[in-house]
Amino acid sequence: MAKTRLSGETMSELGSVKAQTDEAPSPRTAFTPPQTPLSGPIDRVLEKIGQKLSWVWLLLLGVIVLNVTLRYGFSSGRIELEEAQWHLYAIGFLAALSYGVKTDSHVRVDVLSERLSHRKRAWIDLYGILLLGFPFCAFILFYSVPFVYESYVTDEVSISAGGLPGRFLIKLALPIGIALLALAFFSRLLRLGRFLFGPTHLREKP
Amino acid sequence: MEAREFLALAMFGLFIGLIFTGFPVAWVLGGLAVLFTALAIVFERDLGLYTGVDWSYSSLVVERIWSIMDNWVLVALPMFILMGLLLDRSGIAGELMRNIARLFGRVRGGLAITVALIGILLAATTGIIGASVVLLALLGLPPMMKAGYNPELAAGTVCAVGTLGILIPPSIMLVLMADRLAMSVGDLFLGAFFPGALLGGLYVLYILGFAILRPESTPVPQDAPPVDWTVVKDAMGASLPAAALILAVLGSIFFGIATPTEAAGVGAFGALLLALIKKQLSWLTLREVLRETTRTTGYIFAIFLGATAFSLVLRGLGGDHLIHEALLGLELGPYGTLLLILLLTFLLGFVLDWIEITLIVLPLVAPVIVNLGFDLVWFTVLFAVCLQTSFLTPPVGFAIFYLKGVAPAEINVPVIYRGVVPFVLLQILGGGLILLWPALVTWLPSMAYGN
Amino acid sequence: RPAADQSSAPGSSSIAQIRWRLPVAFNTNLPVLGENSAWVSETIASLSNDRFVLEVFQPGELVSPLEIVDAVRGDKVKAGYTWLGYDQGKLPVSVLFGAVPFGFEPVVFSAWWYDGGGQQLAQEIYRPLGIEPILCGLIGPEPAGWFREPLRNPEDLVGLKIRFAGLGGQVIQGLGASVTLLPGGEIFQALERGAIDATEFSLPVVDQQLGFNRVAQYNYFPGWHQPFTASHLAVNLAAWQSLSSQDQAILKTACTAGVTRNLAQAEATQAPTLALYEAEGIHTEVIPAPILAALEAETRLVLEHEAQRDADFARVLASQRAFGKDYDTWRKLAYPAKP
Ligand code: NA
Ligand code: NA
Repeated sequence: MAKTRLSGETMSELGSVKAQTDEAPSPRTAFTPPQTPLSGPIDRVLEKIGQKLSWVWLLLLGVIVLNVTLRYGFSSGRIELEEAQWHLYAIGFLAALSYGVKTDSHVRVDVLSERLSHRKRAWIDLYGILLLGFPFCAFILFYSVPFVYESYVTDEVSISAGGLPGRFLIKLALPIGIALLALAFFSRLLRLGRFLFGPTHLREKP
Repeated sequence: MEAREFLALAMFGLFIGLIFTGFPVAWVLGGLAVLFTALAIVFERDLGLYTGVDWSYSSLVVERIWSIMDNWVLVALPMFILMGLLLDRSGIAGELMRNIARLFGRVRGGLAITVALIGILLAATTGIIGASVVLLALLGLPPMMKAGYNPELAAGTVCAVGTLGILIPPSIMLVLMADRLAMSVGDLFLGAFFPGALLGGLYVLYILGFAILRPESTPVPQDAPPVDWTVVKDAMGASLPAAALILAVLGSIFFGIATPTEAAGVGAFGALLLALIKKQLSWLTLREVLRETTRTTGYIFAIFLGATAFSLVLRGLGGDHLIHEALLGLELGPYGTLLLILLLTFLLGFVLDWIEITLIVLPLVAPVIVNLGFDLVWFTVLFAVCLQTSFLTPPVGFAIFYLKGVAPAEINVPVIYRGVVPFVLLQILGGGLILLWPALVTWLPSMAYGN
Repeated sequence: RPAADQSSAPGSSSIAQIRWRLPVAFNTNLPVLGENSAWVSETIASLSNDRFVLEVFQPGELVSPLEIVDAVRGDKVKAGYTWLGYDQGKLPVSVLFGAVPFGFEPVVFSAWWYDGGGQQLAQEIYRPLGIEPILCGLIGPEPAGWFREPLRNPEDLVGLKIRFAGLGGQVIQGLGASVTLLPGGEIFQALERGAIDATEFSLPVVDQQLGFNRVAQYNYFPGWHQPFTASHLAVNLAAWQSLSSQDQAILKTACTAGVTRNLAQAEATQAPTLALYEAEGIHTEVIPAPILAALEAETRLVLEHEAQRDADFARVLASQRAFGKDYDTWRKLAYPAKP
């Protein structure tokens, strides 16, 4: 019914109270394709990376509070700290892209598709990854390489007084984030492949 | 029509079509940008039709993503998300509901009014609709149902009030809009304050009116305790943490301690402290909250990335130009054009969500509005009200979806639909009032800046 | 591969044969600073009888101001109208072509650029990067900034929370100020609420449009950090070389006219704004001499430091200093001293 929805995981963010109610079925009929020998380890690595990098938000919170305290309390703002804020945030959201694919928490408009069989939804995901997901990753990866390289060879630094040096390092977060995203797509593709073409017992109807 | 304009229309049309396949919106946007770049090259190289788009042009998307990465204002987004999650986990919101409900226990419609007031409080601390709607539903629906409230009123109240958080500052949506339009976040926060309060007020008036006209729909619970000093004290005590958090966020902006961006971090810090004080935050809970922050941040920024690629290619194909021409070519006059834009936004809200509309549509229409001589802050607030309304519009919308996920069985989808209709009408009324009296938006920012 | 934004457009309503996208660093609705790029683009169209069109894209529509030079270098757009100093992180010398603390007055900068070797130096530095730099806009001093409290002596700078970009930021930080780089959209409110004590921004006529006079009472002069501010048309070198000599002449002429036009406008429009400030009771003040002397001394250190780290920076700085020294002998003799 709901056309715009967030995934089960995102719903569970609201979950401490939700857990108290018995019924409250997840609004979407979960569709989780089976693991394969290769996708399993990939997913475990992506899960680990996503989990570890989630601490970046706590670090970011600390840096903001430190910066506010220094500026307001001690009249000594630090541009390093201001820049560290968006450095951390950029690392966080780029890492979150692949984590979102791994946990299937990207926004889907499923008002129509939730009525489809799991097989049809698997086909949609398969074509989507091949025709939309991969081309996007390939495109960004291809053009972010010269972008980072340029920064590296010119030894780019922040243009602000006292800003952070080594700018190529933070720019490098972009291709790394997109490469992880492509890896997450690849893992999901393997799983969809197993579901669609693998052993028949995996193909049961929802 | 030029070939490139045909491509622009096809690109937008295909986008609307493809999102209904259920493939994630972000990758539909990003993927189409790449596919249509390739198509544009084929059109130009092989068919000799001018398109103005090639790989070099579209590769500007890398610089554009970098501009998202080094955008200091957007740092507020994950911090607001973190704050909302911590607020939920600390149990502050739940305690607030139980205690204030006792305060209004003996008033007709008192429970619904409690839900409305708490929703407004929640709105002032966070801007995450999902969190507000689900919290209000879980806390507010059971007591209302038990007391025999009209289920439609109960569902409508929860949905409508839950969406106010996106309008009443601080709000992720307003931060994002200010960023897209290169305007002051502070101006927008202040500008949205009275409209948010106005809508909240309209909700409360509607509930009161409903209670008076249909007393059987809002019975006073049998077991409501008399309001004595203990009840008042408890209510005040329970409000304190929430009030402290509001003070932390809005106060740190107001007293010049932090910028609006940093205030999100200060608010998250406040929520963290409250959760620690209330001993609601184990290491495991914190870990889970942080992971959920990552997931929510992930889906929002994935749409950012997709949308920045999509809008670059659409712009390259002359899509902006097409919209400008279309809107101005109708010769509806300034107010006619404005109303048309708002109507289109409202209709788009049926199929797209606020992030896409803010990222793609708002920058397209804002220059038109400025050219017509309207105040941009005022327009942006109107636009925000429009979007907020679209969360409530059947057949679908974020708020309805969230409520459906957690509501008791007797609150089924038709009940929710019927319940939100009066609130959608109230939204339209509120929007009309803002349209008629721009001072509702412009007065507060002008006062704050001493002129 | 077809150069997308340079191809002819059959079937198009426009008769343009060359159509370039022109991202600009300043919104064209900003007086003087911003509107010049639109003026130049219109002039190019008129001069070429609409055959050569530079379509202006506002900041961020295609790319952020900070990335314009990069986009031109990467052949993603054929040209951009920008402040070269935004590229300072990659090319430290670029700032010397954009604005220099205690540097030239605008007319002297144009003398150095056109006839004192400035343009050649810029070409030597930018052409290997694939860019033809064309001076295209020039304005006079930007005020030293908006302050909530008066400045009395150098100690007042210690701990002062100020928003200040570029080399000037380095200088004022050297004197103990706490420099911040708030995003443009937040400066106004941060200053109004006191999250910062002061900010540098732009010409009075621009500042006034953005409303800084509503939130701070003290506007300090002179514009020590930016006696001149130059904008350039950065043109992709290959695209530049592919132009006919007539089209090259059109671009150069429109830009040279843009420089004159821009400077005249900048000089003409400030006094009325200052009169408005006076009526509003804004304190327009001059930085006390001891502070100015400290700023100048610190500027010398910062420039020396940059010159030691970068050979191009040293070369261009030396050229500017030598030109300035020669020019001063002429100026002192030739111009009547002002009372
Ligand atoms: Na809010
Ligand atoms: Na809707």
